[in-house]
Formats: sequence, C-alpha cells, structure tokens
Amino acid sequence: MPGWLEIVIRSVVFLIVLFLITKALGKKQMAQLDIFQYITGIVIGSIVAIHVTDLATNAVYGFLALAVWFLITVGIEYAALKSKRFRNIIQGKGTVFIQNGKIMEDNLKKERYTTDNLLEKLRDNHVFNATDVEFAILEPTGNLNILPKKEHQPITPKIIGARVAPEKEPQTVIMDGHALLEPLANASLNTNWLETELEKMNVSIENVFLGQVDSDGQLTVDLYDDKLTVPEPTEKPLLLASMKKCQADLELFALGTDNRDSKQLYQKNSKRMQEAIDKITPYLQ
Amino acid sequence: MMTVSSQVKGCFSSIKSAEATLNTLAAKTNDEEMKQICKDVQNTLKTVQLDLESQVLHLTKEEPQYKS
Repeated sequence: MPGWLEIVIRSVVFLIVLFLITKALGKKQMAQLDIFQYITGIVIGSIVAIHVTDLATNAVYGFLALAVWFLITVGIEYAALKSKRFRNIIQGKGTVFIQNGKIMEDNLKKERYTTDNLLEKLRDNHVFNATDVEFAILEPTGNLNILPKKEHQPITPKIIGARVAPEKEPQTVIMDGHALLEPLANASLNTNWLETELEKMNVSIENVFLGQVDSDGQLTVDLYDDKLTVPEPTEKPLLLASMKKCQADLELFALGTDNRDSKQLYQKNSKRMQEAIDKITPYLQ
Repeated sequence: MMTVSSQVKGCFSSIKSAEATLNTLAAKTNDEEMKQICKDVQNTLKTVQLDLESQVLHLTKEEPQYKS
C-alpha cells in the first residue's frame, strides 16, 4: 500500500473514531473544560495526530490508547458524579475574589491573578468599577462570575413591583412558506385556523417567511416581501382601551347625576371596572 | 342631543362587547392563569352589565320624552 493512501485511510478512520469519542463524552466537554477534560483533550488530539502522520507507528496501538483515555475520562466523570470530595480534587473549587465588596488579595495571589487580570475579567462582565461588585468567584473553568451590588443590578419587574403575565414559549407554525403541523398541534390549533388568521391579515402562506404563535393564540408573521406591511395585533390593546373608556364614562355619569341611588350605582360599578382593569392589565400588554 | 340614557346605553354595549372579546381571548389562550383571569374579569363585567341594564330601564322611565 502506498504511504499516501495509508495516511488518507488512517485520517478518515481516526476522524470517525474521534467524532464518536467526542459525541460519547457529551456536550459538557464542548461547553467548559475542567482541568481533567483539558488534559484529556490535548492527549487524545496528540494521539490521533501522531498515528495519522507517522506511518512507523502501529495504528492498533493508537486505537488502544484512545480507548484507554476514553474509558479513564468516562470513569472519572462517573466517579465525580458520585462523590463530592472526588469532584473537588478533579474539577477544583471556585476561588472567591471579591467578598462583601472587598477584594481578597491573598486569593488573587494564590491563582496568580494580577490586578490587571482581575479588572479585565470584571470588564468582561461589563463592570468597570470594582466597588460595584458585591461578590465575585473564579470558577474552576477559568470564568469569573460576579454578583453586582443590589443598586447596580438590572431592573426586574420584581424590583419595581410590577406584575407581569407569565409567558410560555411561542410556537413556530410557518417556515419558508409552509405550515408546520406539529407545532400547530402543540398550540392546539389547526390549519383551518391558520388559513383564517392569514386571510384576516390579507396575506397568502407562500409569502410568509416565518410565522409564530404566542401562548395567547396571537399570530405574528414576517413576509418575504418586506415592502408589504402586516397589521399589528390590536385585539388586546383595543380591549384595554375600551374597558378604560367604560370606566371613565361611569365616573362621568356619577358626577352628572343628582339622584343619590344612581350616583351610588355608577360609583360602585366604576370601582368594579377599575379593579377589573388593574387585574387584567398585565395580561393585555 | 345625547341623552343620559343613550349614553348609558352606549356604555352598556361597550361593556358587552368587551366581555365578548374576553370570551374569545379566554378560548384562544393556552395559559391556564390567563384563562382564569379572563373568566374573573368577564364575571365582573357581567355584574356591571346587569346594574347598567336596570339603570337604563330606570332612566327610560324617567325620560319618557326621549324614548325612541
């Protein structure tokens, strides 16, 4: 067998084996590498590289070495799943860099981090002033994760005391001009419904690039032809507006009448309307 | 001229239409919480409707000259 052919064959075979090993080791390996996975990655790569390019080596030994390293990795990961102490040794523990807003200089030194390194990592987290940080920890994977002080955290509805409606994931029901039946069924809708909704918008399904339905059964579409405009969904804002108008009307009636019974009736119902509006507003926005 | 009774009638029908819209929203949504809220608000609107209905009757008695 000519040498070049053997290299081609070895390359293809090792590529397939490497692919299978990476698949079997799982998604964790792709996302973050701890110390052990880092070593395994380098060694497995080197084994493959040597056996593909050096024809003097025995390919069978190459496969054997790959198998050993694969089994060791799987074995260690399994052991790490079972035992916390083992995990600490293998994967390492995080190092606290900032606690109670104060930088832990000793820990920085232990990880051989300079002040510049720390500042750079903080900037990675969009923090430019170290005093904005309440707590920061260097993860075993080398990422620095931070907890900003309360006043520097992004505003959430909870902080401003706003009530928001829960939202479920939308379903993509039209892709490239074709209706997708499974997502439609997930949203407990059917093609008839889709046709009616598209007719209401005055568009044909062939012209729809992407169509999604939210958990309230509201269809939104993007068209191939970007010059055409699609009406925005108006049902909910209209409902809220008309409820608000009714409430205001009732208040006006209450002011306008001299009859005590009537006044009371209007006021009572105006209050009821206000309560209803307060209740439903988060869901209509 | 818009009489009070016709204004109240207008308000009454607005609420009725809002209630119908809520009904369709409740039917369309997959979210149980949203469904429940729609039903609650629908019930409130129904009570308001009943009150207004009696008020309309009362007003038409009071303003017979404007009776259409």
